[in-house]
Amino acid sequence: MRAKPSSKGLTMADIAVGTYGAVPDHPPRRTMAPRGADIDADVPDMGYLINDKSHVWAENVYELYEEAVARQWSATRDIPWGEVAPLPEELERAVCQICTLLSEVEMIATDLPAKWLWRINHDLLEAKMFLATQVMDEARHTEVFRKRALVNGGGLLYSRKGTEELLRTILQARTFAQASALMHLLGEGFVLDLFRQGELIAPTEVEKRIFRLTMQDEARHVAYGTLHLRYAIEHDPDLAEEIHEALDHGEQMLVAFGTQTDTTEALAVLLAGGVDKVEEVGFPMLAQLQAKVLTSYLARCERAGLNRVQRTKLPVEELGIDRDVRVA
Amino acid sequence: MTVTTRHLPVDSTAFFEALAERMNADPERYRPLGFCDLDLGVVIHRPSSEDFRALVRFADYGCLGVEAFPEGAEDRASCWLEGDLGTWEEMVADIRANGRATARRTLASLVLLGDRIGLRGDDSMGVDRFFRYAATIQQFIDGAADSVSVPA
Repeated sequence: MRAKPSSKGLTMADIAVGTYGAVPDHPPRRTMAPRGADIDADVPDMGYLINDKSHVWAENVYELYEEAVARQWSATRDIPWGEVAPLPEELERAVCQICTLLSEVEMIATDLPAKWLWRINHDLLEAKMFLATQVMDEARHTEVFRKRALVNGGGLLYSRKGTEELLRTILQARTFAQASALMHLLGEGFVLDLFRQGELIAPTEVEKRIFRLTMQDEARHVAYGTLHLRYAIEHDPDLAEEIHEALDHGEQMLVAFGTQTDTTEALAVLLAGGVDKVEEVGFPMLAQLQAKVLTSYLARCERAGLNRVQRTKLPVEELGIDRDVRVA
Repeated sequence: MTVTTRHLPVDSTAFFEALAERMNADPERYRPLGFCDLDLGVVIHRPSSEDFRALVRFADYGCLGVEAFPEGAEDRASCWLEGDLGTWEEMVADIRANGRATARRTLASLVLLGDRIGLRGDDSMGVDRFFRYAATIQQFIDGAADSVSVPA
């Protein structure tokens, strides 16, 4: 048997040939032995806790792993730091508040997959490999936002209790399914939309590049979470309720997080291009964008097999969303 | 002899084919951004004639080509960009003036507001694909800065 390279090179999908590509639904061992090798019968048990394919798999995991590896970037090299320029004080403070928040919240998406990685059966290695890329991606996000906060004199600003409580909720999820729902769908889904806003609000090419590159990574993580949860629910429909319960709680924490005004004010200032038009332009535009964020989240839940439209604790009516209209 | 050039109109297959040609001629500029597998629809509303519609097909580090994207064939696209001709022209003019899209005229900025160019799709996974490949797509469009002209 011989794997053949494709147009991209030799991908993980290319080497998934014959029995080497057969990922067992229930791996027979709990070892680090490579799937497909001739394995001693008396190999030691590594004590893995996630031993069902459906608990971690996603149909797009090969593609996303290759994409992650191909789209790595460097926060040191690939941001045009030389183009950093002095900004009006209120804009610099707003940028630095957003960067403070993001350098705080991004590390959860390193910590959480890292917490679960060693518990995942090695026969499910493609999923483990993808999660390992996420660990690196999010470390780089923490790096790039910390660098931006410190590069132009603004520094790190406010970190609030509500943020930490939201992060603790995600980190302490009892199962990987709940963890993935809270992190990939809820947390990263909202951060993805914040990154999308980032390109709009970026005062200079520096922030624009940062948000464009982080957005790509985040979209990949959300794509994994969406199709992982779909796969998990298709194989175990009872899982849906467990995930709904986690999201019920997570959404409440997100609402509490949203009452912290540091970030919303900073976003409104950046959307308005300064403080002068923050009431007239910034806050109305922010409300309009928040409705889009919520609609995107509900659409991803739907795609994952979770209808949250009637159940969500998020303020859909306040944002003008009709629960009876299909989200897309 | 003086040779003058004119820009290809944005609402033309030739415009997107010229961008594709530039992309394919310079793979080393795209390789560091990673591969891009995306069928991106483009719908441009003209003020007084039928819409311009095209499907730009990206694969690996290049563009496979530009194809017809008839109404009713939306399922062939991962997602599509839809907006009025004036906004598309404004975006391309900004790229030509500055060498790349600036301020709120980048694609990601425009589609976030969604009031002038919207990002549409039948599947949230297809729509999110646009964001997974945003740097490649923007660099592709930024190719309009210096490549999309023909002898007058």
